[in-house]
Amino acid sequence: MIKVNDLIKSYSIDGQKFWAVDNVSLAIGKGDMTSIVGHSGSGKTTLLSLIGGLTKPDSGSIVVDKENLLAMSDNELSTFRNRKISFIYQFSSLIPTLTVLENVILPTVFGKQQPDGVAYARELLAIVGLENKMKVYPSQLSGGQQRRVAIARAFINAPELVLADEPTGDLDEETEEEMIGLFSSMNKNKGVTFLVVTHSTELAKRLGRQFKMHNGRIEEII
Amino acid sequence: MSRLNITSLAVKNLRRKIVRSLLLFLSVTVVTGTLFSATIFISSMQNALKIGTYRLGADVLVVPEKYAADARSALLAGEPTSFYMNRDILEKVKSVGGVKKASPQLFIKPTSFTCCYNVNAFLVAFDPTSDFTITPWLEKNLKKPLSGNEVITGRGMPVMAGDQISFFGTLFKVVGTMEPTGIKFFDQSIFMTMDAAYKMAEDSKTKSMQPISLSKDEISTVLVRVEEGIAPDRVAIRIEHDVDGVRAMASDEVISTVRKQLMGLLKGILIISALLWILSLLMMGFVFYMIVNERQRELGLLRSMGARKKHVFGLIITEAVIISGLGGIAGLISGSAILMIFKDAILQHLKLPYLLPQMTFLVELVLGAVIFSLLTGILSSLFPAVLASNMEPYEAIRKGE
Repeated sequence: MIKVNDLIKSYSIDGQKFWAVDNVSLAIGKGDMTSIVGHSGSGKTTLLSLIGGLTKPDSGSIVVDKENLLAMSDNELSTFRNRKISFIYQFSSLIPTLTVLENVILPTVFGKQQPDGVAYARELLAIVGLENKMKVYPSQLSGGQQRRVAIARAFINAPELVLADEPTGDLDEETEEEMIGLFSSMNKNKGVTFLVVTHSTELAKRLGRQFKMHNGRIEEII
Repeated sequence: MSRLNITSLAVKNLRRKIVRSLLLFLSVTVVTGTLFSATIFISSMQNALKIGTYRLGADVLVVPEKYAADARSALLAGEPTSFYMNRDILEKVKSVGGVKKASPQLFIKPTSFTCCYNVNAFLVAFDPTSDFTITPWLEKNLKKPLSGNEVITGRGMPVMAGDQISFFGTLFKVVGTMEPTGIKFFDQSIFMTMDAAYKMAEDSKTKSMQPISLSKDEISTVLVRVEEGIAPDRVAIRIEHDVDGVRAMASDEVISTVRKQLMGLLKGILIISALLWILSLLMMGFVFYMIVNERQRELGLLRSMGARKKHVFGLIITEAVIISGLGGIAGLISGSAILMIFKDAILQHLKLPYLLPQMTFLVELVLGAVIFSLLTGILSSLFPAVLASNMEPYEAIRKGE
């Protein structure tokens, strides 16, 4: 599903070059549940963004679902993201002017809208336990509830790959369990591939393959 | 749930900061309203001048030298006046080279003592045997000449055909009403034959408390039509040279004086409107730049969900189009309302004629104003929209955090 080779991404901060991703290579199979652990600033989020086509590397190659992301035009990349990749962020990523239901359905605006999109959004909200909050706005939800809406939104376009950045960061234990259960269910039933960045070694252990990042370099934990 | 699309997203975004949206809306309203009302106002005055010139039908107006200013005020602002000169002048004018036709007219200013009906009415008497300004209208519309006690009135007079109206103790019958011109000289005048006017003057000595001092040897003005191919101002110069004690005004000259006055007004309005527009463009551009800046993360998130550059660009432009379109419509409404409220006061001050242009022109003007307001919105948001659409999604999300 994901094949990354010799990936390098650097930034200049105050004239000093900083390698966020330093010569990273990894391969993740279709339907895998993989985690990347590491401290803040180790390059996990940058790597996730590179794999999701949100930014371009200095060098290297990224192939997702047999498609070379670096050879795609901006429009092709957008369509690819819309159809195949979803992101779950560690911050509140909901649009404040939209209701919960509208937030979930938002990604369909940028692609081919399915006639049963709203029904599926309701179904997803029911799965994350927010079926009675569809018409409320994000500001009326707790942080945990907002995260659950974002998770429901991640599945609206039936993605093949979910890139999650600290998806259970501020969830209570019970909700965290439910979310991991949802990921596992999506993985088993729909074959969705997960690449999850987390601080939590506990979560990482439960997901399957584990990688560790440090100073932009990656190694697999066996 | 209503269908979610770029337009509904834009509407929801505009509702988010209602005060800011209102400010943008008001700035477009003010600019469009100012330009629209100014254009209508000036077009109406130009239209009135055009129609008035055509209605006057004369190339040169000959008046007593010391009453030139009064004659100009009478023609342009419809201010009733009375002045007289000797009828001999008519023959002298006719003999001047370049004069094709010459016809006398009498201007009589009624007073509250002499007119039982309307003190603002302006009595104009013409000679049906030589007239070339009123008579063609009579032939076309009334299909008969005026008899002794018959008058026709301008559209501004509150009388209709069949009504009777009294001046200086003489009763007249209204037989027709002329179409509106916007020029008070025509719209608030009552036209009669010179014979009727002289008889009214004679009878006023016994019938009126304030008789008219007018003899059959006196006329107020001579209207001149010049030979084809000869410039009216050249003929006017010749008349002034050949005939003592008169001022000959080419109608072009009368109009050009007003045009100059109008151009000054137009220039002032244009400068103010251009400044307002530039200010509005800058303010809107700055506000949209701020909007893009503060929504960086949101826009980055939309891109991560698969929004293309054109979606982000379209979202910002749609917000601008909605706000400027609504502002434009509000500008049209408020501009029209302000014009209606203050029109009379301004005209009173400027002493200029006014007549709304034709409906087709007004429709074009309304469409133009809407397009102008939309362009204002699009232009002001163009740079921020390009900026927003070209942001790298990851950078937008990261910087917006």
